[in-house]
Amino acid sequence: MGKFRVSFYPDNKSVEIEKGKTILAAALTANLRINSSCGGEGVCGRCKVIVRKGEVLTQPSGRLSPEQRRQGYQLACQALVQSDLEVFIPPESRLEFDKLTPEEIELRLKGLYSESEEIETPRAILKEGVFFHSPLATKLYLELPEPTLNDRLSDLERLYRAIQQVADVRIMQTGLMNIRRLGQLLRSSDWKVTVTLGKRNGTTEIVLVEPGNTAENNYGFCFDIGTTTISGQLVDLNAKRVLGTKASYNKQASYGSDIISRIIFARELNGLEKLHHTVIDTMNEMIKELANENNISLNDANCVLCAGNTTMIHLLLSVDPTNIRKEPYVPTANFVPTIRAVEAGIKINPRGLLSCVPGVSSYLGGDASAGVLACGMYKAKELSLLIDIGTNGEIVLGNREFLIGCAASAGPAFEGSGMSCGMRAARGAIQNVKILSAAAGDYEVDFDVIASTKARGICGSGYIDIVAEMLKHGIINKDGRFSGIKCPRRRSAAGGEEFVLVFKEDADSGSDIVITEDDIENIKRAKAAIFAASSVLVKQTGFNFSEVKKIFIAGGFGTFVNVDNAISVGLFANVKRSRFVFVGNSSLAGACQALLSHQALKKLNEIAKKITYFELSAEAVYMDEYMAAMFFPHTDSLKFNQVKA
Amino acid sequence: MTDKAIYQKWTGKINEVTLGRGPRLIKIGAQTGMPFLFKEADFPNPPRIAFEVWDIAPADWPQELAQHYAGVFKNPLDWAKKCAEEFGAEIICLRLLGAHPDNQNKAAREEAKLIEQLLNEIPLPLIIIGCGDAACDNELMPLCSQAAHGAQCLLGEATQDNYRTLSVAALADNHSVIAMSPIDINIAKQLNILISDMGLPPERIVINPTIGALGYGLEYAYSIMERARLAALAGDRMLAMPFICFIGQEAWRAKEAKAEGEDFKQWGDLSSRGIIWEATTAAALLQAGADILVMRHPKSADFIRAQIKECFAGKP
Repeated sequence: MGKFRVSFYPDNKSVEIEKGKTILAAALTANLRINSSCGGEGVCGRCKVIVRKGEVLTQPSGRLSPEQRRQGYQLACQALVQSDLEVFIPPESRLEFDKLTPEEIELRLKGLYSESEEIETPRAILKEGVFFHSPLATKLYLELPEPTLNDRLSDLERLYRAIQQVADVRIMQTGLMNIRRLGQLLRSSDWKVTVTLGKRNGTTEIVLVEPGNTAENNYGFCFDIGTTTISGQLVDLNAKRVLGTKASYNKQASYGSDIISRIIFARELNGLEKLHHTVIDTMNEMIKELANENNISLNDANCVLCAGNTTMIHLLLSVDPTNIRKEPYVPTANFVPTIRAVEAGIKINPRGLLSCVPGVSSYLGGDASAGVLACGMYKAKELSLLIDIGTNGEIVLGNREFLIGCAASAGPAFEGSGMSCGMRAARGAIQNVKILSAAAGDYEVDFDVIASTKARGICGSGYIDIVAEMLKHGIINKDGRFSGIKCPRRRSAAGGEEFVLVFKEDADSGSDIVITEDDIENIKRAKAAIFAASSVLVKQTGFNFSEVKKIFIAGGFGTFVNVDNAISVGLFANVKRSRFVFVGNSSLAGACQALLSHQALKKLNEIAKKITYFELSAEAVYMDEYMAAMFFPHTDSLKFNQVKA
Repeated sequence: MTDKAIYQKWTGKINEVTLGRGPRLIKIGAQTGMPFLFKEADFPNPPRIAFEVWDIAPADWPQELAQHYAGVFKNPLDWAKKCAEEFGAEIICLRLLGAHPDNQNKAAREEAKLIEQLLNEIPLPLIIIGCGDAACDNELMPLCSQAAHGAQCLLGEATQDNYRTLSVAALADNHSVIAMSPIDINIAKQLNILISDMGLPPERIVINPTIGALGYGLEYAYSIMERARLAALAGDRMLAMPFICFIGQEAWRAKEAKAEGEDFKQWGDLSSRGIIWEATTAAALLQAGADILVMRHPKSADFIRAQIKECFAGKP
């Protein structure tokens, strides 16, 4: 088959490509990025290019106007190369962030490039004695009897025997690497060794044999890999103690803010690898920092346990996520076997293990299973609801009899991302906001700052307070737009109307901290998605909110939310306050439990199998509920107006 | 054995909206049940037919429709008179399209004067609809509202993106407003709440649910109206407003109403197709609960008038 040269302008790059390949493929080969929202199916029409010279074979498309066709426009994903070509890529068809300068990108994704930072340890519901202590990796110090003519057991069997004398382990396996080194190691260490045992898919593996006694140093990491935020903890596996917790924005966001755009990006040339490396780099950085700050050696870190939505786990393992997005929405794996962490690129002890919390379906991942485990709803008699508020919000309803869950795409607003002055609930974040009427028609804004420093930005719970207070004072209308009220804090800026919360002089950010009409719109969409999903789940299973005895609120911001305000903006249903339980990052808490107990990991498998996935997009009623929720607090305000304490 | 009829009793009631002045004052709404079910609810006010009058000559009205307005397109006063005296209009619906920057960019003062003249010469209640350009309407409508002070007009159209100026004007000059939503029951309700929050009483709001003509989403419009009405009758005060439906505008846009030439012969006689299209659309929405039907063709209006009369013949 012939090859042709395709030249791209204005880049002035050219590549050789086989006849019959698409222009899009040629562009990717030339390392040029063209928009392709539909993933090359000729549907979205965003990959328009102009063919100036040469022949292509293509099908008619409604995405091109007659005028455009006359000018030589083609859909890059549909035009098959038939000769040498000269192709012009118009600016609007380039993948967006190629057009932006680094400064612009930084401005647009404010906060995304921040370093990882210490966050308050989530209020994990780690009850002692819930699961017996059997971490993913255990260390045993053994003093083996030296072989004699009467005791001629082989080195490996001698080791097995010694292990079985102290631990209840039946099936064992050992890698060749360990066996090769064993004879020499046992003798040079005077038969005193530390064995690291790993739980691996139902068997126990000798992960590592080290000379001397290092049994005291046994550490692991657990992670919650969110679409927007990655949180990680360093855990002392012997002492069952969390030594440090960090969070960082998921830098994959520069390849798309939601799951779908990342899956699309994964299909581009080197896309999957870039996404994979981005998340691994962030994790490795956090691992390194946590290890340094706690003075531990990475050699003593023997296991990692990750919870995350299904797409994030695919990207973590560099598994193609394409089919998650395609009907019938089947992922490559929901239950991922325990592997060696190094295979995924995670830098701990080279023989250390990586386990992922099993997921339910393409859009209900291991983070939901972990949440259900952490809040204990799977064993409760009463009906409870778990709402995990994140970019990919997940909601599970049930009790010990049944579990049903759904996913709602809420966007990153509550994680402080994509907002004009947003940030995580970390040092410098504004929370507990109160707006008070002041003299001369002005307002005073009263708030706390996390760690009592100067204000840097606003976190998710801060936004909820602000919107609730602005509604209360009539500064915004129930549709979230600014009302006719004029005051010095309210002003018009380039980005539209805004309200100043903290003036530059009092802020640590170097500029005024404001909330804009767009921010409020983002909050409205996010809360509408979460409320509509909860409401549909409860209604479609034949219940109503009054029958839900406990509502577990999870998410990075969960610990700090003011329930009254969350109800008055319509994020949560108006039920008795005592029914709300804040569980913080329940995904991370569940992962931590599984890291510390093999029994918990087994329970997670059961939970993931037990949860029925409820597909919201198949329900016409969801869109209706969503539109009804796109109002403060809700179009059906009767549901909310008897807000009671 | 005899079957016993079961009647549904509702707790809610549709608001009564008063339009016009003097002897031609009319009321719409106030019903307590689904359309024409006289045995289970009260219907003090029948649906009314309004005719459209524009301040500029329409360019796209098909010949079959335009011929009935021969000679009056140039003068809105004559046009309105014709509708009132010859076509049996009960309400005049004035559209100020001439004020649109893309059309004649007519001055607000000029339009206000037209309204004064209309009110002086035509005793019927008046609906005043802006040009559709938000910035332009926000200048135009307050002046028109003042000019019509005391005439209890219906001003349009308030949308989610632009409702404040119109609501304030209506409040100041004692008019009612049309709240337009894009075939969406939630947005309809949200807009009513927003307008009420401005201080305009719910009894001075009329819902334009946005409709589609026969073959162009009529069923969807019907179901949205029905849902809103059922919610209102069940007690939702923020949906308890009468409906106004722009029948003529949608029906005469349908290809079936106006396509001419050899190719479309099998569709039947062009001179009656459009009339049938408009009348059928109106007849269906009458059953969905329309309170004001804004129509264009005198013959389809005659048909609907007869139908309303026939339906109301069953009223005890």
